[in-house]
Amino acid sequence: MGRSDEELVEACQAGEASAFDVLLARWEDRIRGAAFRFLGSEDEARDVAQEAFLKAYRGLSGFKQQARFSSWLYQIATNLCRDRLRRRKTRPLVSLEALEEAGPVIAETRAGAHERLIERDLARVVRGAIEALPLEQREVVILKEYQELTFLEIAQALDVPVSTVKTRLYRGLDQLRLRLEDQGVRGTTAVPVPAP
Amino acid sequence: MECEKVGDGALQGDKLDVLYGEADAAVRERVLAHLESCAACREEMGALRALRRDLGSWRLPLARPGLTPRGYVLPRWLLAAALFLLAFAGTLGASGYLSLRRALAAQESRAALLERQQLASERALEAALARPPVADAEAFLARLDARIDERLLARASLQEQRFDQRLADWQERAAVRRRVDMAQVAASLSYLDGRHGEQLARTNELMGYVLQASDKR
Repeated sequence: MGRSDEELVEACQAGEASAFDVLLARWEDRIRGAAFRFLGSEDEARDVAQEAFLKAYRGLSGFKQQARFSSWLYQIATNLCRDRLRRRKTRPLVSLEALEEAGPVIAETRAGAHERLIERDLARVVRGAIEALPLEQREVVILKEYQELTFLEIAQALDVPVSTVKTRLYRGLDQLRLRLEDQGVRGTTAVPVPAP
Repeated sequence: MECEKVGDGALQGDKLDVLYGEADAAVRERVLAHLESCAACREEMGALRALRRDLGSWRLPLARPGLTPRGYVLPRWLLAAALFLLAFAGTLGASGYLSLRRALAAQESRAALLERQQLASERALEAALARPPVADAEAFLARLDARIDERLLARASLQEQRFDQRLADWQERAAVRRRVDMAQVAASLSYLDGRHGEQLARTNELMGYVLQASDKR
């Protein structure tokens, strides 16, 4: 059984530099994945992850473990992604408008078309819909859906109350549902029919 | 149809807790009870579950570069250039490799020879060390001293002989020289014989003394 994040952080603070390698190996993929979903670029995601771990390493001596290490790491990475998005001064790489110009994913309206929708196209639509969300909602959706953080961890990472996290997520999911429906996606399973 | 609690933020939060499996038993029971009676919320929850499945279709690229060098992805042109250079270098290096192998074999052969020589030297040294010591060291030293004395005596005798020979030669040359001088003196006295009678007689007498003194010496 490996050491927990907290134990590894304490080891780092005590001078055991190799403990940070374990943390890096443990969280590298997740942080880079989150950054990729935020930014839409693998190169930028790699840079952000690298920068995030560098910042974490430098700030580790002052880390009090009031929040979980992963939440702190996500907070650093999220802030770095926000900075990059601000610098871009443009909308995300794939805009919903561009998707709409390309036409609905489901060609025609015949029955069963959804079943023939290849997963790649669905992923493209989902990605476009998420990237079209307001930044605050997008962050919460990504951290919850793809990084599988708890509401508390997200609240710590974004430095907002849990209730705010839930509100943003609720609105974000609602927006996504509407946007996907606009694109002809109504869920991979049948939507329950309302009771009469 | 719309839920009568549509503006209930707490209910929304509870539904999310249930949706993501973070609700405790009490919250879960409360939400399920509401869903039993609210078709709008039931439909919404179903739609959200379906939405979550759709969201799961967006996966990360399989080949993801990492922070470590193992994850870096080279551009294709750079990869092709690298392969070309590698092949070129390999072709060039093949001949060099063969000559290197030959040189290496020669070096190894020379090293083996030196090793054999070294081994032989070591064995000879070991054999010499293993030899029994001299039985009677004093006798050996005495014999050695005797030989040295013998050589020294022979050399001294030789030097003495040479000295005697040189002395005899010198005496012989001195005698010859004296006889020549006496002959010249006699010739001179003969020349003066008729001219100075009495003086000559004294001179002859004096020369007689000189000759006697010379013989004595």
